[in-house]
Amino acid sequence: MIDLLALPFAACLLLTGIHAYLGLHVLARGVIFVDLALAQVAALGITVALLAGHPPGSPAAYWYALAFAIGGGLLFALTRLRRAPIPQEAIIGVVYAVSAALTVLVVDRAPQGAERIKQLLVGSILTVTGGDVATLALLYTAVGVAHWLARRPMLALSFGGRDLGGPRVLAWDAVFYASFALVVTSSVRVAGVLLVFAFLVVPAAIAALLVRGLTRRLLLGWLVGAGVSAAGLVASYRWDLPTGAAIVSAFGGALALTAAALGARASARAVRARGLAALRPGALALAALVALAGLLLILVPAMDHLWLDAVERAAPSVQEAFLTPGERAAGREARQAVARGEAQLAEMRALQQDVQWGARMLDAEKQERLRQFLAGRGELMAGDRMVLRTLRANARERQRYWLGLPLLALGAGGVLVLARRYLPS
Amino acid sequence: MLRAVAAGLALASLVVLPAGGAAAAPPAGPLTVVTTSRDLQALVEAVGGERVAVESLASPLQDPHAIEIKPAQLTLLRSAALLVRVGLDHEPWLRRALATAAPGGARDLDLSRTVALLQTETPRLRADAAPHAHGFGNPHYWLDPENARPMTAAIAEALGRLAPAARGDFEARRRRFLERLDAGLLRWRAALAPYHGARVVTMHDTWTYFAARFGLTIAATVEPTPGVPPAPAALAALVERMRTASVRVLVAEPFADPSLVRAVAARSGARAVTLVPSVGGDPDAGDYLALFDLNVARLAAALETAR
Repeated sequence: MIDLLALPFAACLLLTGIHAYLGLHVLARGVIFVDLALAQVAALGITVALLAGHPPGSPAAYWYALAFAIGGGLLFALTRLRRAPIPQEAIIGVVYAVSAALTVLVVDRAPQGAERIKQLLVGSILTVTGGDVATLALLYTAVGVAHWLARRPMLALSFGGRDLGGPRVLAWDAVFYASFALVVTSSVRVAGVLLVFAFLVVPAAIAALLVRGLTRRLLLGWLVGAGVSAAGLVASYRWDLPTGAAIVSAFGGALALTAAALGARASARAVRARGLAALRPGALALAALVALAGLLLILVPAMDHLWLDAVERAAPSVQEAFLTPGERAAGREARQAVARGEAQLAEMRALQQDVQWGARMLDAEKQERLRQFLAGRGELMAGDRMVLRTLRANARERQRYWLGLPLLALGAGGVLVLARRYLPS
Repeated sequence: MLRAVAAGLALASLVVLPAGGAAAAPPAGPLTVVTTSRDLQALVEAVGGERVAVESLASPLQDPHAIEIKPAQLTLLRSAALLVRVGLDHEPWLRRALATAAPGGARDLDLSRTVALLQTETPRLRADAAPHAHGFGNPHYWLDPENARPMTAAIAEALGRLAPAARGDFEARRRRFLERLDAGLLRWRAALAPYHGARVVTMHDTWTYFAARFGLTIAATVEPTPGVPPAPAALAALVERMRTASVRVLVAEPFADPSLVRAVAARSGARAVTLVPSVGGDPDAGDYLALFDLNVARLAAALETAR
């Protein structure tokens, strides 16, 4: 595991290092989607390079991408007017959509690149090479040092405070967006658009939620970025998930957890201050949900009631109580058959794989019999699963009133009681 | 936007309708045939010669699953006498295109009905074996040259029905094509005979028919779901098995993710070879027979150096 994930983790650390910092700028400036827009402009650059005869992975394609992205960055710097009639996000959004559309138009002229460009946008953090990591390290160090040297105008521009003169604003904005374009173009090549966006926004956002002060936010952002990307990598290994998507989801989970924790803290404070009455809005929402669940169960018993499925998985008796003894026996049998079948299938598939890999020998006739056995077993199991689905449908028909009506009554009653306070008396 | 285009087309169809009715009479010039891939275009051209004008909707290196059809192609679909397609779930975009531009009386020839399919396990079985994009059987059947026999037979039959006068001509052309195919098969079998039973790993599920024809065993696929990179544990297990089973050749398509190909090849010690799954995917794969000449030569070279 270590040998496989060491380089991706190193890349994640580098990405965290530069993006958590740039993310603070981006959040403060309120230009969240500038990253996606610049990545898309870079992709357009790669497509144009393709049209000029350079393959997508070549250095020439990189320079095209960089030139386009810096051009886009300069455009953003130019459009940051003091009293603009439209928000800058509008321009960023238009640049994103138009460059994506132009990419489609250009790719259509040179179709052999479409796949590669999609791959560039998705990225492949898992297969990052030592050379990639070294290049990123050099580049990001250079950008970081430049930002450190120019920290005073940069920080003043993003975080307000001192007001600079007109042409100097434009110049420093140009420097900011050009360095941002350089970083994004290079990161997206390695990690893909989604992952780069997550690195940019989530650590900075979590830090901004939790602490004050630029230095503390930066330190916390780095910690969060490193910890969450490590968690995402391990989860990807442990549960067999595509790596980039797993890390992005881990970032989403981290942000949700932070928000939930802050919400819980706020509620606890409110309860201390105002007693249990502070929980009334939450209880009201819960009661409404219960009523809705009951109503849907009554109206459409055949739809997917995911909450009820989960309850039944945890406590099978919730379903069994609504089945006849005969149905219960059939359900038990079908479940056992599915479990047996799954074990058998796993064993046979392992055998089939061993044969394919040459670890075990099987003559052609036996291989064919094995294939047929697998197909037949699969059909039988599908039958058993259908039995289970039918039983569940039977139970739902009975739960419809025995479970749905009480839930509806409970939820609706709760809503009425809790909402009375908000109604005009 | 789409709706506007559709409405425009509907209007156009009203205007064109009388002309379309007149076109039902036997056409004088070459038959217009639309295919969904360059491979099928090559086969139709082999049978039809100068009596057909064939256009393929997909270019050779495009992802055949995700084509965005263009107005000119819709017009072409409308005016075509025959539509030849791979079938199965290979062209999910085609149904919508046909709904908008149902070719006026054109015959729809689904070649997947003419061949024996592989990997036809039902979708639900597939779903619990491994995620897999091909629910109805593997659609890359044109990569078994033997399948060109039933495929060209169906094409000749369909063309013969549209132009009964030229039926004999189509049959003769098909016979000449099959003679060249037979010569090719001898050549390709001889070239790959020394490596019978050799194990290879492929990037995608493209080469099932090809491998079955030439006696190669595909031990595993790196990306079972195209476009979804493998999970690290799966990749580690794959590389490990490649080492222990000493699988030395990794077959990639031109559109495979180059960094993934590089990583698997470097970690497993296998040699990556790019095979072209479609006519026109390489300058040297200009027609159906050249496609196999190129792929067999590349594969044999890779297997030879890997020994």
